[in-house]
Amino acid sequence: MDDKSRRDVLRGGWKLGGALLIGAAAYTGYEALRPLATSAGGAKITVGKTASFEKDTSTYVPAGRMYVVNANDYIFALSQKCPHLGCHVPYCESSGRFECPCHGSIYDLAGEYITGPAPRGMDRYKVTIEADNVVVDTSVVEPGPAHGAKIFLTPPKGPGCIGKA
Amino acid sequence: MTDVDLDELEPGRASVDHGVTARVKRSDAWRSVFRHAQQDTPRGRALQSFSNVFLHVYPVKIPKRVLRMRYSFRLGFIAMVLFGILLVTGVYLMFVYTPSVGSAYGDMQHLKTSVGFGQLIRNVHRWAAHLMVLVVGLHMVRVFYAGAYKKPREFNWVIGVMLLVLTLLFSFTGYLLPWDQLSYWAVTVGTGLVHYVPLFGGRLQDLLIGGPQVGQNTLLRFYALHVAVLPMLLVLLLTVHIWRVRKDGFAVERASVGAFAEEATERPVAAPAAAAMAQATPALYGGRVRLLGVVDRESVTEAARPVDDTVFTWPHLLVRHVVVALGTAAVVLGLGVAFSAPLHGLANPNLTPASEKAPWYFAGLQELLSHFDPLIAGILVPGGAILIFVLLPYIDRNPDTRASHRKVAIILFSILLAMAVGLTVIGTFFRGPGWTFVAPWTHSYIEF
Repeated sequence: MDDKSRRDVLRGGWKLGGALLIGAAAYTGYEALRPLATSAGGAKITVGKTASFEKDTSTYVPAGRMYVVNANDYIFALSQKCPHLGCHVPYCESSGRFECPCHGSIYDLAGEYITGPAPRGMDRYKVTIEADNVVVDTSVVEPGPAHGAKIFLTPPKGPGCIGKA
Repeated sequence: MTDVDLDELEPGRASVDHGVTARVKRSDAWRSVFRHAQQDTPRGRALQSFSNVFLHVYPVKIPKRVLRMRYSFRLGFIAMVLFGILLVTGVYLMFVYTPSVGSAYGDMQHLKTSVGFGQLIRNVHRWAAHLMVLVVGLHMVRVFYAGAYKKPREFNWVIGVMLLVLTLLFSFTGYLLPWDQLSYWAVTVGTGLVHYVPLFGGRLQDLLIGGPQVGQNTLLRFYALHVAVLPMLLVLLLTVHIWRVRKDGFAVERASVGAFAEEATERPVAAPAAAAMAQATPALYGGRVRLLGVVDRESVTEAARPVDDTVFTWPHLLVRHVVVALGTAAVVLGLGVAFSAPLHGLANPNLTPASEKAPWYFAGLQELLSHFDPLIAGILVPGGAILIFVLLPYIDRNPDTRASHRKVAIILFSILLAMAVGLTVIGTFFRGPGWTFVAPWTHSYIEF
């Protein structure tokens, strides 16, 4: 009886030990790979006076990796990161739209989805006006508007940029 | 030095060779390394094979038909040769390369401008990688059409699918290392896909790139995956793959289903029974080849006697393999001399180039991505394809390997293959800047 139970303990024991070892290895792997507290993002950026953002223009703010746009006198801070697969979406001066070169997603000046494979419009950061200054809080990200939101959609100013090498 | 019995070593030899080579070969030291002298008898050749770990990878004798190019097109072997070339050139590159955002790109330039044959090594590494993807894919296609994934080789097919996935992961991780615009944005898009994995996609993407965007953490972990984790996994799986090829014998078209089923029963057979079985079923190539592996060596030659349709692996197959290996090396070297690996501008996280294009083997995926939701095009379609491939031998239970008896499987697979090839061709040749449709002869945008 004693012999048998000892054998059973050993028989189960090595499996338990093995499982613990695999668990420990997996957790260590996770600890080694998981990103530490993000250094980018989270900062409040004062991007300029409200008057410096003229109506229907886009201003690139490299420090925040974003565009500050004035669409019909509404100011938005749009993340440069395409919500599709993360390419940098350039602003096309000639059409007045954001046109992603990777897979052809196009957004209007306010970052609303127009066409392409993207699942939504461009993500927005929280914008506040403090003493006539435009302040962007990059720690607050609002997912871009869903397909069909075409509040700020206007016809393109001119020819698009995509397709011109 | 003690001379061995020359009569045993070379029976019928009239005079003793006193040349230096001959004396060295007779020495105890030499015989401690090569246990069996070259003896041009069936038994001598078999003993040489059995006592040499490298030769042992091959069977002593193989059916003649295995020698025909059409049998396998040597694709599996070529893939292995390419992997060998990648290991060698990869080690050279590791001596020059530092996986750091600050120096990776400069190392690539340094390789080109200051290291003799440096750029050539990089070119060869890159071409061997491209060809490996192609050859592993073709190998899979050939194995499918031959029906060689059927019992008892189901699991070896599964391992093959894993090896294909590993090959693609190798390409993907290696792509980032030069740290130019091409690699940066290709990997941004590729890892962006991971985000769409249901439930834990965001977490998985974080673990993969190690931060909010592709950066130093990504470079370091891709490097570790590329030079340590993936090679270990690939060597492990390749060992099992080749070992099983060897143990399962050669896949040849069976005359009938019945013979196939009988051949497939695998169990250790005692020597006399093995000889008897070989006598009783002389037509079963596969069966007899495997029996050679399990019976003791006295029976080997006896079992091989009934029908002499086999030839010795050495020299017949080995010579062909050496020629194929040299040919592969020559092709890769030629491509490396003719076409240089590109190095675009230094990676710039704030500027996506207008000409962002995946390498050809992912161009089909990129084409799908431009039409469908990323969850469908980037996760469900490729994931589903891999799953179907893994399950294929368990879904297709028809034991017959003749094309005329497996029309449904062949038609379905051919449709899938045609779609994959079609998407790849469109993505590679018909897409210009901004992924707009262009005719291939109107632009020089194709880059391999």
